Amino acid sequence: MNCQRFETVVSELARGQMMAAEQRSEALEHSDVCDDCAARLSDEQMLTLGLQSLASEMESLEAPREIEAKLLAAFRAREVVVPITRRRSSSRYWLAAIAAMLLIAISVVVFRWSNRPADAPRQAVKQDQPQPQINDKSNEQLAQDVEKPGVDDSLPQRPKPRRVHPVSLRRPDNAAVANHVTKEIATDFIPLSYMSAASLQQEGGQIIRVQLPRSALANFGLPVNMDRYNEKVKADVLYGVDGMARAIRFVQ
Amino acid sequence: MTTGLNRRMKLKSDVNDNELLRLMLAGDEEALSVLYRRRQGSVYRFALQMSGSRSIAEDVTQEVFLFLMREGHIFDASKGTVGAFLLGVARVYVRRRLRAEHRLEPLGDDSDDDDLFMQVTTDVCPLEDLTRAETIDSVRKAVLSLPPKYREVVVLCELQDVSYGETAEILGCAIGTVRSRLHRGRALLLAKLRPAPDVEETGAATVKSARCFA
Repeated sequence: MNCQRFETVVSELARGQMMAAEQRSEALEHSDVCDDCAARLSDEQMLTLGLQSLASEMESLEAPREIEAKLLAAFRAREVVVPITRRRSSSRYWLAAIAAMLLIAISVVVFRWSNRPADAPRQAVKQDQPQPQINDKSNEQLAQDVEKPGVDDSLPQRPKPRRVHPVSLRRPDNAAVANHVTKEIATDFIPLSYMSAASLQQEGGQIIRVQLPRSALANFGLPVNMDRYNEKVKADVLYGVDGMARAIRFVQ
Repeated sequence: MTTGLNRRMKLKSDVNDNELLRLMLAGDEEALSVLYRRRQGSVYRFALQMSGSRSIAEDVTQEVFLFLMREGHIFDASKGTVGAFLLGVARVYVRRRLRAEHRLEPLGDDSDDDDLFMQVTTDVCPLEDLTRAETIDSVRKAVLSLPPKYREVVVLCELQDVSYGETAEILGCAIGTVRSRLHRGRALLLAKLRPAPDVEETGAATVKSARCFA
């Protein structure tokens, strides 16, 4: 071994590090015959002792205790602390799941409860759509109805989809009115003069709701319930543009 | 209650660092306490030996464990131990702190180190006349005066007794680099610890610094 090679291993030798036995013995032999390398090894060994003394002196040094207290306080103050055990974690999940299910159930109940009043009248109207809408008819609509050729005047058989107004039917007051109106049953218009049905349809006019003695039904050939003979019966009278009554229909 | 706490902590003292870290990240305060007590000494001493300042060492110790609480999930057990991970974090914080306080000297040219390295071979024993206390103080100052890249290796390998492999993990370099830096760091230390030669001895020292070729 020469001095250059010795230089590469002198630190390991002085520090007592593991090295090949053959290399170690060669290095020691070289330091025996070379004064400079022996001195170099001695310096390294003294340095190792000095460093070991420094390390042993500082070995007992520790951070002040207040640092641990600060860290633990910071740890407790963390907002993102995850639950310690799985058991606590799963119980929180269950609680959250139950709360979510309750919330959904309450929402469904409230939603259905709030929609119930609006659904009932709508269904009633749908069922009664073919029935007459006498009171709500404007004059112009009546005139249009009369002018339609080939259309049966029997109002109960005519579907009037335009008259079903979902928005207004959602309100209870309107729904009551609608029920009342759609429950009426009317006869065909019966001419009061000798005018033909065609002229009646062309002329148009105005309808006025009146009440007549039930006996008036007999005048038009309609059956009369004798048990309710003294009661009144409703009727719609169609007036022409000249103010003369043209036709009548009875409403129940 | 205190007895129960101590008993639980005693139980946890048998748990390895990786498990303690996992428990701590799951919110276990005792795990943090046990892990801190187990590792704070090496972190504190490393910061103190690197900086020479108690206040910096205390701050760095605190910052390292705060980092562990905050970012501990990035630790990868397959890449090293928790102790090495903590020392690596401490190294970053020490460097940052020293740079901020202009206490970290810029990395010098290696040629200067070579000049110092060549002055090592001398008959003058740098340590033999010093008392133990003086020796320790001199060594401490010499270590603090080393360039950072050598100081880190000397502190870890010599003062912290960390293996070459772990030192390589902490520094993020190859084991061969650790070896060479330690070798050069020790040479620099010897050069710094050697007493200034007298004028008459200067010539002799110069002559004796020549390598032998035996």
